[in-house]
Amino acid sequence: MTATAMTSSPAPTAAPSFALTRSALRQLGRQPRVWVGGGILLAVLLLAVLAPWVAPHDPLEQDLLHMLTPPMWAPGGDAAFPLGTDGLGRCVLSRAIYGARVALTVAIVAALGSMLLGSTLAMLGGYFGGVVDRGIGYVVDLWMSFPPVVLSLILLVGLGTGVDKVILAVVLVDWTRFCRVIRADVLVTRRRDYVLAAQLLGFGHLRTMLREVLPAVVPLMITLFSIEMGIAIVVEATLSFIGLSVPAQVTTWGQMLADGRSDMQSAAWVMLVPVACIIVTVLGCNLFGDGIRVALDPRLRLRSE
Amino acid sequence: MFQVISAIVLRRLLLAIPTLLLLSLVVFVVLRMLPVDPLAMLLPASATPADAAALRAQLGFDKPVPQQFLIWLWQALNGNLGLSINFRQPVAPLMLSALPATLELTLAGLLLALLISVPGGVLAYVLYQRRRETAADLAVALMQSIPSFLWSLLLILAFGVLWPVLPFSGRVGEGVVLPGITGFAVVDLLLVGRFDAWLTALSHLLLPALALALGFAPLVIRVLRSSLIDAATEPYVEAARLRGLSEARIVWRHMLKNAALPTITMIGVQFGFLFGGALLVEMIFGFPGVGNLMVQAVKGNDLPLIQGIALIFCVLMLAITVIVDVLYAVLNPRLRTL
Repeated sequence: MTATAMTSSPAPTAAPSFALTRSALRQLGRQPRVWVGGGILLAVLLLAVLAPWVAPHDPLEQDLLHMLTPPMWAPGGDAAFPLGTDGLGRCVLSRAIYGARVALTVAIVAALGSMLLGSTLAMLGGYFGGVVDRGIGYVVDLWMSFPPVVLSLILLVGLGTGVDKVILAVVLVDWTRFCRVIRADVLVTRRRDYVLAAQLLGFGHLRTMLREVLPAVVPLMITLFSIEMGIAIVVEATLSFIGLSVPAQVTTWGQMLADGRSDMQSAAWVMLVPVACIIVTVLGCNLFGDGIRVALDPRLRLRSE
Repeated sequence: MFQVISAIVLRRLLLAIPTLLLLSLVVFVVLRMLPVDPLAMLLPASATPADAAALRAQLGFDKPVPQQFLIWLWQALNGNLGLSINFRQPVAPLMLSALPATLELTLAGLLLALLISVPGGVLAYVLYQRRRETAADLAVALMQSIPSFLWSLLLILAFGVLWPVLPFSGRVGEGVVLPGITGFAVVDLLLVGRFDAWLTALSHLLLPALALALGFAPLVIRVLRSSLIDAATEPYVEAARLRGLSEARIVWRHMLKNAALPTITMIGVQFGFLFGGALLVEMIFGFPGVGNLMVQAVKGNDLPLIQGIALIFCVLMLAITVIVDVLYAVLNPRLRTL
């Protein structure tokens, strides 16, 4: 979604080499969005990795004496369950922490996969042009004439359920976001003097693409990657909310939403905790991506200062 | 004018034919990769392998996939999209009866999204002019991090459970039967003059449409804001200022018109997002539309129904591109002389 908003803005004109890396890093450091977004993502990542040590309970452990216990600060709360328990007496905080594992796994792997697939095709199309470009462009157009949610549902029917299938579905749906935006950037970069110089010096296609063109589009790729992570988290939560993503013994935020929805009348916190987890994590991804875009795009930076 | 429009429509329609064919093929092949047998649920526990084979033959699942596709295509051209496995009904009428609900929800959502995002976009622009954009940026970023399906749950919690003022399940009040003239509840009930029933339909539409709108609005706000910022440097804005027009009048009467074009393009491209959002919103609110049907079909591995709904969504998306192209030609005076 944000990818389209970006196509209308000027493409980042990054330096051809990493010679400017230090000044780029300094720009990144000045962006509060990068700090806040990165901080959120780091915190969620730490919680996910350290889940067995951080979580007070096993996420699947049912305590039938403590069903729908409210959070500890509310009347009737129990300090053993800081964020209360759900309808089966499972610790909501522990489930939220373990849920971060699936969410981040899907986010990182799916975003990486769609970035690799989309950027490779964008690079080939933008660099070689002609038939290759038109062919890839046609497939992108074809893909875009489906609502993404509908396409991922169809893919899941064909692929079956499971975390790996969800990741594959996200990659197969969302590579077009990368392809469209990066292709436009490659088209511009390809015509720059230094790329022409490299070609005149007799560099091979592969070397020109990887050493001359790729560095110029890396900032855009990082931005899209970060935003795609947020999208993948939402898609995974959606699919596990519907009940298509993972088996019941794996804890996900989407499942917690579905559980919380049925107890909404009496225990709103069971649903509000995963809602907050998803919003905060996705916000972290979006802020981080936006911050990088603004920091590494001189034209946008002038605007915002 | 008319010639321009009909040329656009004709060109789009011709381009749509190969797109629809290829997409149907892709969906068909993906669905035939299905790891489980979609017909297993149809057979009684006492069925013999011979019964299963007979059922497969009866539904055409025993033929090779390319042949199955050609048969499906030929029947589709004749308006027959096959038989839903779970509903035991023809797919086409099943979908067509659900389609108005989806369109009603999507259009209401789009309308509410515009009502939110046009003032929102102008506000974001004004804050930018006054160098107070950090707060606006943060608000938009936060809105953008809340997808429609989370809004649905939050709105149900707020206005259905904690402060129960609005209904959050179904399409009309209990006991109301839709007259079925256009299929749009909000239109039909008004046509037959049943205002009490019309109010229930409107109140049932409000929360799902709002959930859809809140998920879509930040996208529109972003485009409007950046289009307004771009427009601010145009000579006509300076000219209007020199003529002594107030800033508010310049923004609302002059700049917004020009910002409308990129916004319409963006809405057209992102309509898939709106349909996808509507699918989940329908499921959560029990709204009897195509999206709800799709979720049921996917859960039940109902291949003919999934294939049909995929086709409907492609046709809808193509129709949107035609509408956007025509709107663009109508609104942009530079394109009128073709």
